[in-house]
Amino acid sequence: MLSQKSEQFIIELRMYLMSKGKNDQQINDIIEELSDHLLETEAKGKSVQDITGGSPREYMKTIGKEMKFDLRQSAGLVPLITFLILSYFSFGPAISGTISLSKTGLWIGLGMVIVSFIIYGFFLVNVLPRIFHSKSFYIVGGALQLVLSGVFVVILFLEQNLDTEPFFVATPMQNNYILIADIIIFIVAAIYTKTWFTIFIPFFLALGPLATRFIPESINKNPIYIDIAITIALLIIISIGLFVFFIRKRKKDNQSTIN
Amino acid sequence: MLKGLLDGSLLALIAKGETYGYEIIEKLQEHEFAVVSEGSIYPVLMRLQKNKLVATELRKSPNGPKRKYYTITAEGETELRLFKEQWQQLSFGMNSILGGGDEENAKSKI
Repeated sequence: MLSQKSEQFIIELRMYLMSKGKNDQQINDIIEELSDHLLETEAKGKSVQDITGGSPREYMKTIGKEMKFDLRQSAGLVPLITFLILSYFSFGPAISGTISLSKTGLWIGLGMVIVSFIIYGFFLVNVLPRIFHSKSFYIVGGALQLVLSGVFVVILFLEQNLDTEPFFVATPMQNNYILIADIIIFIVAAIYTKTWFTIFIPFFLALGPLATRFIPESINKNPIYIDIAITIALLIIISIGLFVFFIRKRKKDNQSTIN
Repeated sequence: MLKGLLDGSLLALIAKGETYGYEIIEKLQEHEFAVVSEGSIYPVLMRLQKNKLVATELRKSPNGPKRKYYTITAEGETELRLFKEQWQQLSFGMNSILGGGDEENAKSKI
């Protein structure tokens, strides 16, 4: 087993090389080779710093320089990411069983896809791998999710208020199919990127819709801002609960590795 | 120049027999060859592989992850001979300068 620091370095390296569009086979090769080296090095009581020589970022760059940019593969990534973002957006409504399409909704959706493309991309490659094994990972990841899904919920409520005529309303069966498709896409993306992010993020995404589902019917008759307030409040409470759970679990894991 | 030195030394080590990343580091340390960091051999190994000076084979290691074994190619052998010649010239000149022009001293150090 690799130590947390080494594992974090490996994840960072993988995300870095992937973001630079390097060949997948070559990435796997160097990752395996370095993992093997790290295992041997750690068995002798040395650390990941003995490998990178102080600056992991610089080291990643020197590795990257020796690798080719794989155009064909990068072109293949675009559909995967598009599907992934579509899944992020349909996941919530599919859970609450409210998938519908209207013209205004499509434009709003498109705007949100582009914005989230930029935000998630930045966090996934530049921020989250660096803090993968610290508390900040859950706090930053959670805050990002909270803000984005909060905005998402507000926009959805507002859009419902606009009374735009949907040209497609999914049946309960179609909702379930979309939900299953989303979950498959999350799993495929997780296997493809060999990371857990694509599983964690929809997990947080599901909190909002799950919350609205368990709000009693009568409350839905209230003015819209009460709905929003309740949803956001529930989101925050559940998220805090999860942070505490994860942080405690992390502490336990740490203690068991020390012992 | 130093970058080229590491290329040459790794090629020479691989020429002595099939080996892998961590073993190369151990051998370098046995020879008390100062490397900046352990990881600095990997970009060099990638470069050697890209220029077809070494061949690689993946096999299972006792640790779990697959291990990449390196062997020298015919092209690598040629390159290594070239490197040795260059190095001999260079080190002769270097010793000569550092030894204050004492040629006997320089020769004995080679």
